[in-house]
Amino acid sequence: MAITLTQGIMLGVFAILAGLDSWLEVFYIFRPIISCTVAGLILGDLRLGIIAGGLTELAFAGLTPAGGTQPPNPAVCGIMTVVIAHTTSVAPATAIGLSLPFAMLMQYILLMFYSVFSVFMPVMDKAAAEADTKKFARIPYLIMTIVSISFFIVIFLSAYAAQAPMAALVKAMPTWLIHGFELAGGALPAVGFAMLLKVLLRVEYVPYLLLGFVVASFINFSNVLPAAVIGIVFAMIEFFRDKKNKDLQAQIEELKESGVNGGEEDGI
Amino acid sequence: MASDDKKTQGGKLTSHDITMLGVRSSLLQAAFSYERMQAGGWAWAQVPVWKKIFGDDKKGMSEAMTDNMEFINTSPPLVSILMGLLTSLEEKHVNRQTIRGLKNGLFGPMAGIGDAIYWFTLMPIVGGIAASFASKGNILGPLLFFIVYLGIFLCRIPFAHLGYNLGTKAIDVIQDNSEIIARVATIMGLTVIGALISSYVGLSLKLKIGSVSLQKDFLDKIFPNILPLGFTFLLFWLLKKKVSPIVLIGVVFVLCIACSFFGIM
Repeated sequence: MAITLTQGIMLGVFAILAGLDSWLEVFYIFRPIISCTVAGLILGDLRLGIIAGGLTELAFAGLTPAGGTQPPNPAVCGIMTVVIAHTTSVAPATAIGLSLPFAMLMQYILLMFYSVFSVFMPVMDKAAAEADTKKFARIPYLIMTIVSISFFIVIFLSAYAAQAPMAALVKAMPTWLIHGFELAGGALPAVGFAMLLKVLLRVEYVPYLLLGFVVASFINFSNVLPAAVIGIVFAMIEFFRDKKNKDLQAQIEELKESGVNGGEEDGI
Repeated sequence: MASDDKKTQGGKLTSHDITMLGVRSSLLQAAFSYERMQAGGWAWAQVPVWKKIFGDDKKGMSEAMTDNMEFINTSPPLVSILMGLLTSLEEKHVNRQTIRGLKNGLFGPMAGIGDAIYWFTLMPIVGGIAASFASKGNILGPLLFFIVYLGIFLCRIPFAHLGYNLGTKAIDVIQDNSEIIARVATIMGLTVIGALISSYVGLSLKLKIGSVSLQKDFLDKIFPNILPLGFTFLLFWLLKKKVSPIVLIGVVFVLCIACSFFGIM
């Protein structure tokens, strides 16, 4: 189904909200599970939006900005997944793979912004030195305006203006390529998890990772809550043990000190 | 000058000011750049409270603004604690060096704790649960996610008050326990990540040797989901070898398309 101009503009306006949110990280409406749902609502296919949201959220599970690397933009990926699934009637899982180029485009734009915006900092320094709060505020406003406009343009162009070429592209694709994208949709979370592990994993934590893996592999349950509860159990055990160790450590220190002072008198 | 000892007890700030500080802490990343990270937004968020504290004292205002334009990178959902805490010190006109030192000492550990709690623990759990509803077309998924994160946003307000009220006391509590807090959160996060690898990484071979299916008759007999786990560890190893994530994403795409073309997966 085609996208109307009104829908294109509405998607663009939502992209501003979700984009600014992904810039500030406040309400998390930039996460695929929300951005897909809202995009589905705008396109009049809420159910598609929700299902695509679930799948895309999983694909992005480990792709977080924590640890210093900027992942492909989840807001753009979410919106474009629904747009592609809606316009070309491919399965949402396939659409995730097809939306990734757009998400990466936004990622590169943001990476460029992160570098370029450094030039504004001296302006803020000068305003700070003069205690000029009005001049000081101008820079954050300017930056947020630039970010908003970029998100609008990227989504409006890819969802509305470049819609026809995209549909043609998908139609021209052979089945093995589409299946390849589907496979990639299943394999990509591994990249995200590997990134998480790079930040978090130390040898002492490997048992917990394996525990979670084994639990989920053998308990047939639709979500990860059982594993989370087991995680809490071990976290609590460790917490109390750490606390106890810390107290013991303090006691040992105390004994050592008193031992030095009174050692000769009561030495046996 | 004896200004270091001068304490305006009760202070110039009302409870409403601290609430607004919590809300304004949302602006932390408004002027993000690689050079100073969150500095611009960090300072901008606090301008209204400084205006009240310093009033006509242009020199004080300028010093506060300049100090806070230094590099900072901390956890967005937790930042209002730090803002509240430092604001209580600014209000009491504590020595500039002390405030600055505390800021620099605390933002790093708080970033670690925040990442461990919010990105590595809460996000996989809430996202995973919400997504498992949503994949079946249930509106409860996105709704649940939105409500939880709305709650996290609202927490910024009590957090700002918490920081402000605890004043210098909070520093000891956080510093004393920061290691344990970070450790425990990591344990929980990793257990969930282990489960997520098993549930959400989907890889299975189509290949057959004679009539023996490599996946069903061989790999699944060894251990279910061994392929996703092995693949994740391979990528983890490559990341450790300093391969960039973008390259890995590209490799995964090429690999999957090639496997599809040759009928391997």
